[in-house]
Amino acid sequence: MIPLSWYLALSAVLFTIGAAGVIIKRNAISMFMCIELMLNAVNLTFVAFSSHFNDVTGQLFVFIVMAVAASEAAVGLGIIIAIFRNRESLDVDEASILKL
Amino acid sequence: MLELTSVFLFMLFGGMAVGCALSMIVQRNPLYSAISLVGVFVSLACLYVTLAAPFIAAVQVIVYAGAIMVLVVFVIMLLNVETEVRRPLRLRYLIPVAAGLSFVLIAQVFFMLFFVGPVSSAPSNVGLTASIGAGLFTEYILPFEITSVLILMAIVGAMTLARRAADIPLAARSADSSGAAGSSFTDPINDSRISGSRPGLTEIVGREMAARAIERLESRTGRGQGEET
Repeated sequence: MIPLSWYLALSAVLFTIGAAGVIIKRNAISMFMCIELMLNAVNLTFVAFSSHFNDVTGQLFVFIVMAVAASEAAVGLGIIIAIFRNRESLDVDEASILKL
Repeated sequence: MLELTSVFLFMLFGGMAVGCALSMIVQRNPLYSAISLVGVFVSLACLYVTLAAPFIAAVQVIVYAGAIMVLVVFVIMLLNVETEVRRPLRLRYLIPVAAGLSFVLIAQVFFMLFFVGPVSSAPSNVGLTASIGAGLFTEYILPFEITSVLILMAIVGAMTLARRAADIPLAARSADSSGAAGSSFTDPINDSRISGSRPGLTEIVGREMAARAIERLESRTGRGQGEET
């Protein structure tokens, strides 16, 4: 049996990589994918705690997080398409004023 | 023997996840980072299986790797995203801050690895689909219903956002017909009966907006006209 701390460490590493990606990347779609990676790191923590404490609540939360991530993907990609249609670019530095 | 196998599996899939995540950060082409992200999702699904959560693993593959990433790749191809260009860093003072914060994170990870003792756990039926469904439809029915309302709002919001704005073609059409001879359409901007002798501020602004809309429309359709002539 793998100790719980290994999963937590892996989750922390994945979350850090995702956060670094959000800071580094300038492309809106790449930033979006890094946010998905951070959500997955948190999901790994939930599932690890759930199977460690024999409690199903963590996996229910993972299910709800996935639903929220799916709706976030739909709305976020809609916003990205709207920005691209107005600016012909996906650079977030150029879209710094919240005006289309 | 079982211990060794599980450690090997954790190392394999954890290493795959971290490697694919790093590759996602390093790639400059968004399509390559999307493929790397699919690798992260699949290796995380394998980790869920080793954690005795088969339902979550299946949902991970179906929803994340199947639905969300297909949507992302579709948008990447639709928008024809260019490769990111390298530009100089603007906020240089953030580098020492990032180094300090990463040191704090590494300290936390080592504390968890070496000072938090293992707690023994017995195998159970927690990760199975039946127990998840029972929990979802009895105790957590309210969050489940709220999630469904959220998804409905997301559908409506995505359709509203991605819809082509209706006012741009209308403005361009009205400005176009003002220049056409023999048109029965009366232009409210150029009509002297309405605006009088001197153009006001709103008329100048409106004319400018119409001109900009025409420009945008022409730049959008200019490619097709260029091929015809």
